[in-house]
Amino acid sequence: MCSKIIFHIDVNSAFLSWEAVYRIKILGAQKDLREIPSAVAGDIKKRHGIILAKSVPAKKYGIQTGEMIGDALKKCPHLELVPPHYQLYKKSSEAFMEILRRFCPVVEQFSIDEAYCDMTGTIGLYGSSVAVANIIKDTIYKELGFTVNIGISNNKLLAKIASDFKKPNLVHTLFPEEIEKKMWPLPVSDLFFVGRATAKKLFALGIKTIGDLANAEEAMLKSHLKKQGEIIYQFANGIDASPVVGEQPLFKGYGNSTTIAFDVDKTEAAKQVLLSLCETVGKRLRDDNASATVLSISIVYFDFNHISAQTTLISPTNITNELYEEACKLFDRLWDGMAIRNLGVHTTRIVRNFQNRQLSLFDHDQFEKLEKLDRAVDKIRDKYGVDSLKRASFINSPIYHMTGGIGKEKQTVNYEEVKLE
Amino acid sequence: MNMPVDVNATFNTIGKIKPNYIRIEDEEHVLRTYKVESIEYVKEEKFAGINTITFVCNVLVDDCLEKIKIYYNIDTHKWMLGK
Repeated sequence: MCSKIIFHIDVNSAFLSWEAVYRIKILGAQKDLREIPSAVAGDIKKRHGIILAKSVPAKKYGIQTGEMIGDALKKCPHLELVPPHYQLYKKSSEAFMEILRRFCPVVEQFSIDEAYCDMTGTIGLYGSSVAVANIIKDTIYKELGFTVNIGISNNKLLAKIASDFKKPNLVHTLFPEEIEKKMWPLPVSDLFFVGRATAKKLFALGIKTIGDLANAEEAMLKSHLKKQGEIIYQFANGIDASPVVGEQPLFKGYGNSTTIAFDVDKTEAAKQVLLSLCETVGKRLRDDNASATVLSISIVYFDFNHISAQTTLISPTNITNELYEEACKLFDRLWDGMAIRNLGVHTTRIVRNFQNRQLSLFDHDQFEKLEKLDRAVDKIRDKYGVDSLKRASFINSPIYHMTGGIGKEKQTVNYEEVKLE
Repeated sequence: MNMPVDVNATFNTIGKIKPNYIRIEDEEHVLRTYKVESIEYVKEEKFAGINTITFVCNVLVDDCLEKIKIYYNIDTHKWMLGK
């Protein structure tokens, strides 16, 4: 059997590149954000103050994605900060995927700015894999104005690692015969599935590079890291059998969370945040004709410690009120009175097109009414905007009535407030 | 920076767009209209995923032909004058 050819295409500093191209090509700005130390970052005042993406010159100052704006500014005081612009990211991402689909029969969108392409069998169409990768990369640059890195290999894992080699605007290969030379010298934290916590554990075992991991004893890894040990051992040896899946699988769960602009220390305020999260989670469930059987809530305290709890419902539901009542019960059980920074509501064990509700003796038989109410509310909000209808409890409240997901303020940028050069 | 402009354009039955006049506010805040004499070329672009149509045209400014670039943003229906 001939081996597969898989591409992993990754946009270089996606959010920042897209904003840079938008400013130059659409707004006519002169300055290219990609050439100066710059970063896309949230709003400090709303405590969304982390770096979301950074330019290559900013990376040289040691600025990392996910770090606090204050820390980043200490490293580089003249760092230019740009607000997020999700409406643009969506459009750029769609145009990017459209170009990939032009070249490749099976495209798996892995995130907003990365995708896997199964290019097996296209050699007769386009020639060698490196040649076609260069054509794709250059087409994206010519048509959309931003650069990408493409990793080529026989499986998804190696392709992803290859696309992370030297950036930007380059094509790299990492075929199994190249693993020893190209992948094994890398630090173990570069491996997919090895996060900060795992890297720390591996470091304690004397494993520093991917090569160390690949040559370690599998049984030893398994005893320390359980199932994950097995997986990362295989990854370190370049083994990954997962296929490129063109169609997105259905969601296994629906959840939203929010970092609140102030520390919450009162039950009423916390429950109002839970209600606003249940509003958006319920809406997402209903939009997909889904009902959830398990509900969980999570709390992040002001000191970044977090806890969570879950409950199984008697019957699957997507009714906002019911989700909220269950969330409140969990919250009362879980919360110890410490100030809260972030709250989340998540649902799992999804049932599609659920109709036959299990009635119980103790139910208030209002479910049908509530379902109809939710449907009507959804319709009104779809037609006239989410703010056309809100619960009276949110009037004069500092908490927005539908939180979670990407907030309104992150969708667009008010360029009148941004100085462009 | 590009500048938003008022444009008077013709849209024909096959979907072709032709700008006829542009109107800009000058330094003294007086609105001035310029006739588009000819279009040199039209190009559809999609930078950063934003659909635009670029028109490079000649306009008559004080009896003198001047080459300008205007962009039509298909999503927002706004016209911009290139710098």
